[in-house]
Order: sequence, then C-alpha cells, then structure tokens
Amino acid sequence: MKRPLGTVAGARSGDKGGDANLGVWVRSDAAFEWLNGFLTVEKLKELLPEAQDVSRYELPNLRALNFVLHGLLGDGVASSTRFDPQAKALGEWLRGREVEIPEELL
Amino acid sequence: MIRIGNASGFYGDRLSAMREQLEGGELDVLTGDYLAELTMLILGRDRMRDSSLGYAKTFLRQMEDCLALALDRGVKIVVNAGGLNPEGLARKLDAKVGYVTGDDLKARFPEALTANAYLGAWEIAECLRQGAQVVVTGRVTDASLVVGPAAAHFGWARDDWDRLAGATVAGHVLECGTQATGGNYSFFTEIDVTRPGFPIAEVDEDGSSLITKHDGTGGAVTVDTVTAQLLYEIGAPEYLGPDVTTHFDTIRLQEHERGVRISGVKGSPPPETLKVCLNMLGGFRNSTTFVLTGLDVEAKAELVRRQLRDAIGDEGLTWTLARTDQADAATEEQASALLHVTIKTADPKRAKGFSRAAIELALASYPGFHVTAPPSDGTPFGVYKAAYVNRDEVSAKAVLL
Repeated sequence: MKRPLGTVAGARSGDKGGDANLGVWVRSDAAFEWLNGFLTVEKLKELLPEAQDVSRYELPNLRALNFVLHGLLGDGVASSTRFDPQAKALGEWLRGREVEIPEELL
Repeated sequence: MIRIGNASGFYGDRLSAMREQLEGGELDVLTGDYLAELTMLILGRDRMRDSSLGYAKTFLRQMEDCLALALDRGVKIVVNAGGLNPEGLARKLDAKVGYVTGDDLKARFPEALTANAYLGAWEIAECLRQGAQVVVTGRVTDASLVVGPAAAHFGWARDDWDRLAGATVAGHVLECGTQATGGNYSFFTEIDVTRPGFPIAEVDEDGSSLITKHDGTGGAVTVDTVTAQLLYEIGAPEYLGPDVTTHFDTIRLQEHERGVRISGVKGSPPPETLKVCLNMLGGFRNSTTFVLTGLDVEAKAELVRRQLRDAIGDEGLTWTLARTDQADAATEEQASALLHVTIKTADPKRAKGFSRAAIELALASYPGFHVTAPPSDGTPFGVYKAAYVNRDEVSAKAVLL
C-alpha cells in the first residue's frame, strides 16, 4: 500500500561540515528486512532528488540504515544557502514521502 | 557504577538544566556540551573583539547559580565550555578547577580564524585524578566528557578498547541532551515531550551503561529514543575518535524498567591522526525573502530577479522560489509563495548594497510587493573544513589551578 515512509520508520538527520547524515530506523525485525531491501541508494535519490553523492551503511543491530549525503550542505552550516542548512529536517522530509509498504507491516 | 548526567547539548540549551540535574536526584558527574562546529566560529568572532572571551558565557551564568550546589552535593562538573579559552574560563571559577589545553592549532593553520584538534578523554581523566571539582576543556570530542570521568573512576587503561568504546556510545547518546529523551523524536506523538528531562548514563566497570533520567522528569528513554540519538551525526559504523574506534554495528540495546541498557560494544585502536576543526572567514552574506501572492507567481519572481540583477549584478546570488501558494486560496498566507535570495560575496560593501537594492524595489516591482523581514547590513560567514594532523603534532595538557 502507498503510505508515507514515516508510518513505519523513524529518522534523524544532521550535519557534518558540508555533508549531511540521515539515519532511518524501524521497530521490528520484519520491518528491517523490508527496509534494508527497499531503501537502496537509488531509491533514496529518487525520494530525495536533492541527494547526489550518497554512502549507505547498514546497522542491523539497531534495525537502522545510515546515509551520508556528501556535499549537500556546500561549505557547511555558516555558509550554506540551503533552506535547511544543518539538514535537521531531512529525515522528516524523507518520512513524508509516500512509498509502497507491505500491508503486514502497517 | 558511576552516574554521569548531561545538562547541555549546545551553546544556548536550557539554562535551568544544570539545576534540574543537580536537584533531581543522585549524580556523580554532570557534563555539558557547548561546542558545535558553528559555535567555534561564533566564539572565534567573540575572541577577535575581546581576547579575554572565547568561552561559552552561559556556562558562567550556570555556575554562578549552581557551583555551590554542585560542590555541596559532591557532583563534579565536566564541560567543554572553555571553547577557545579554557584557561580564561577556569580562572573565573571559585573551586578546585582543572582545564585541558593544547587543542588550539592556530599557529599551524594561520589562514584559519579557529583551528582546534579534537582531543580525547585522558586529560579530563587526569584532571579528575588530581582532585578537580570542575573540569573545563576546549575542543574535545563530545563523548570524551563521559569517557574521561568513567576512565578516571574505574582506572581504565589506554588499550581497554571495549570499555572505552562502551563509554563512547554512552557519551554519544548524552551529548545532545534531550535528543536522547524524546526531543526531536520522529514518534513524538506517542510520548509526552512537552519538557523532556536531561539524560543520565550509569556506566559500569565494563563500559556498558544504563541510559536513564531523573524520576519525575518529562520525555522518555526507550530503545527508540536512544536509537534516534545513536543515528545522529554519524558516518560509517566504525566511529573514529581520538582514544578508540567504536564499532556502532556491535551496540546492543535492551529495554529496562528505568531506561535502556547499552552493552556488547566493541572497540579497536584509534586512527594515527587527530581531526582538526577549521573555520575560515568565507566572506559576507545577506538575504531577504520576497512574498509573491496570487496570480503570475513565476512571472513575479522573474521580474524581481531581473531587477535585482540589474541593480547589483548577478555574482554570488542564490535564488529559491518556494511554491507554498495554492490557487484560489481562502487565506492570504495560503495564496503566497516565498522567493528567497541570498548574496555571498568577498566585498562587505556589496553585501550591504544588496539591502538597499532590494528595498528600492518597494514601489517599483511586482503587484503586492512585500518582504518577510527587511534585509540587514549583511554579516560575515564562515567556511568549515576538517583537517588531520599526526598525534605528535598536538600536545594536550591537563592543568590544575
């Protein structure tokens, strides 16, 4: 079913210099199995078209994925002209995107 | 076990948190993080104006209010509020104070406004071993504020990698204050986060910990709130620090009646180099936001762009048009889009002239012209860079006053 990703996933994002990080986690093993297969780098770029150079890391012990969006913030918070220069709400933007979620996870 | 609390996640955090943590229940050590990358720039500009400044002034206010209380309760205070001037801050405090110095590498990076190596936990531990009641540091890694007191308390060795890694994870959870207890939390509708309490780590000898908070404080400590904070500002699962490399993919979280247990964390030796936080002056910036209401939003935006370009030139301008407007809207605000423009330039006169050029359009531009706030005279901005230096180029020192 097409639902906002945030129906099943939490997220937290922030800045490290010119890079943004975006952690996404879910709350059951079944949900992580789905998330890990679903949320590839390509899918993330499709959902957040402003993302370009992306690294992806798996943390199955936390049922989480961590993405680093390289260069998203230019020269860092003090100089960035981005709408959200510290990427504080990047995670909430992602949670608001509608994706196909298996019905048994809802 | 040692109880280590946090009372600050940034320069500007809840001023009363120090008192709340001291009065709310038992603690051995109270820590506070005051330094973000951006804060170093702000303190650097303070120091340019007055060389006796360069530390977090709000911490001094907290100490005026709470130092006697902390000493009375036997709670040690460990903070990085020293910023660019830990000695200057330490000398203002009436207690047995230790400070950590040696992070300032401005001599090595003369082109930078601020250049500070991320120091680790061992100088903090040394201050505490020598009996400091308050420890003030400059740039140390945020987690060191927790690792240092735990290492001093248990007498850990420098190669106790797993213990150091366990405490680093506890420190990472605490370093942003209420972000561990339900603040800024995706599932905030499930708990009461009106006024989240500040977090506490009860660290054990093996480096494992219980994340908790004082009874009766708001928010919650759950596997989800702790997971959220663990994911904040990290990169690869190998989390590099000055004292240990912490493997985030080995962390185990378990719900506990008073919070969340953290265990299983593996550590390995740290990298050969230390990270350095550099802030350069990048130039000057200024910005304003035009409100575009009703019909012809794109054409209105195009007119403003053309007019401002003609007045001051195109160089250094960044435009974004946020189409927050809806057609046939029932409120004026819903009928409006926002056109943001920022100028970044090496020339302060041009940053100031931007304001004049924008305001001169007021009676000569699109129908319905107004701005959300008038532009200022422009402000200098910083550019952040990370650099890396060999450990032997940095001589960190613990000094007891």
